[in-house]
Amino acid sequence: MPRGDGLMSARAVEAVEAEAGSPGYRALITILAYALPVAFILLPLILFLIQSFFYVDHGDIVRELTLRNYERFFTGPAFLPVFLKTCALCLGVAVITVLVGYPVALLIASLAGRRKYVLMVIFVVPLMMSYIIKIYAIRAILGSNGFLNRILLFLGVIDEPLTFLIFNLQAVMLTLAVILLPFAMLPIFIALERIPRSLVDASFDLGASGLQTFRDVIWPLSAQGTIVGGTFVFVLAIGDFITPQMVGGANGFTFGRIIYSQFGFAFNWPFGAALSVILLVAVLIALGAGSLLARTRHQP
Amino acid sequence: MMRLSTGALVVLGAIAGFVLLVLYGPLFVAIFFSFFRFENNAVQWDSFSFDAYQSLMHDEGIIDAVLNTLLVGGVSVSLALVLGTALAFYYNASRSRHRDFLQLLIFLPFLMPPIITGLSLLVFFREADIPRSLVTVIIGHTVFVLALAYRIVLTRLQTIRASLVEASLDLGASRWQTFRFVLAPSLMSALGASAILAFALSFDETLITLLVTGTASTLPMRLWAMMRLGFTPDINALVTIILVGSTGLALLAIRFVGVAAPR
Repeated sequence: MPRGDGLMSARAVEAVEAEAGSPGYRALITILAYALPVAFILLPLILFLIQSFFYVDHGDIVRELTLRNYERFFTGPAFLPVFLKTCALCLGVAVITVLVGYPVALLIASLAGRRKYVLMVIFVVPLMMSYIIKIYAIRAILGSNGFLNRILLFLGVIDEPLTFLIFNLQAVMLTLAVILLPFAMLPIFIALERIPRSLVDASFDLGASGLQTFRDVIWPLSAQGTIVGGTFVFVLAIGDFITPQMVGGANGFTFGRIIYSQFGFAFNWPFGAALSVILLVAVLIALGAGSLLARTRHQP
Repeated sequence: MMRLSTGALVVLGAIAGFVLLVLYGPLFVAIFFSFFRFENNAVQWDSFSFDAYQSLMHDEGIIDAVLNTLLVGGVSVSLALVLGTALAFYYNASRSRHRDFLQLLIFLPFLMPPIITGLSLLVFFREADIPRSLVTVIIGHTVFVLALAYRIVLTRLQTIRASLVEASLDLGASRWQTFRFVLAPSLMSALGASAILAFALSFDETLITLLVTGTASTLPMRLWAMMRLGFTPDINALVTIILVGSTGLALLAIRFVGVAAPR
């Protein structure tokens, strides 16, 4: 390690260790550092995992380890189909956000100078705006008594309010897509922005058309960011239970809602925990598939 | 990156305009109808008033919710900043292999779907016999925003040159003085940025809060309860106030992060 100009880490450690280097002291610091994260992050997760192997009998939790919750998920008539439907729904959300987000990110990334960043902020700021308000506002627009219906009625386009706009799975998909769109745009924008101008210029100089340049230069270099964005959206969508409840109605039953109901009306915590573990496995698979896909795309 | 042809520009511009409409349209509808009434299938243009805002001022449930939200945000952000800074210092100074495990632990609540974080805390609180209250909400929010504070402080810490710390120690400053007069000043902007971002997250946190709260409600909870009843001017007024607040926070955060980013 060269003296003087390195980053703080190693040198500062030596200084600290030289001054207070006793192993007992260091062990104490380590324990202090781990105490809270272990107590409030790791321990709850472990308890949660264990809970998923308990079961409920006559309203009481029986603390015996069994696989019956997981068995019930695979053998029950409703759980596996809802789970698969929810996965398909969230995949749909990811596809919509990427299909819509990519062109917008491309447009913004092609702008020059400061405008680019200002515009990106405009598209990303809604992320920080209250999530529940967005659901509410979308519901107010799409509802059978909502503004869209009232306007169409007023204009005489329809005679009765359209009812297929809300309280079904399509409404859940669209609402989630609106809410999560900026999450997809951000990684795509970053990937596009990193493409060196010279590569694009070279492609044009060598006689490629705009479409060819996009297909052979820009898309391959931004595919990774696009996959990351889609994965983000999928992971965020699959755990949501408020959006389906607000705009899904009776027909919009998703896996997240089933889990939530186990901790509410159904009062079967162990089963809810088991379903959450399955959800987590789906998330991990999505993340793994995403990074695998991104890696294979990255190879020339 | 590149310049687009006019045709492409028009098509992409149309898509972007549509997206903006979809992202912002619903919000403007809510703001608009906090001032105007909608009756007989038409906007009553002469109904402009602040009535909805005034009736909010007299709603104790809402005032409680606002105070709860500020309390939860304030306490959990402070806790997360202190803990996140301490952990960032530890990570930065430690050379053991298990420090990456600790870092993963810190990131977990941020990476996992909120429903998992919330439910695992819920189970934990029951096993530990901690009754659900604002305290459990504060713990949930602290765990959630910790990753953010930790990450921003660590990033800044890693850009501080070792020679500065060494010089301070060589010149006879104690370690506390070195922290107070050398490290702390350059961490301030990072701490400010984390505080604003973390507060904005806590302000809007809904999924975890819903799972770990007792009878006390924060603003998003309250809003959710009100919304089940329908679409009223009161809700629109509350929505408008929250939007102004969170947009302000967002812009402040972006400015701050811009300033705090290493140049």
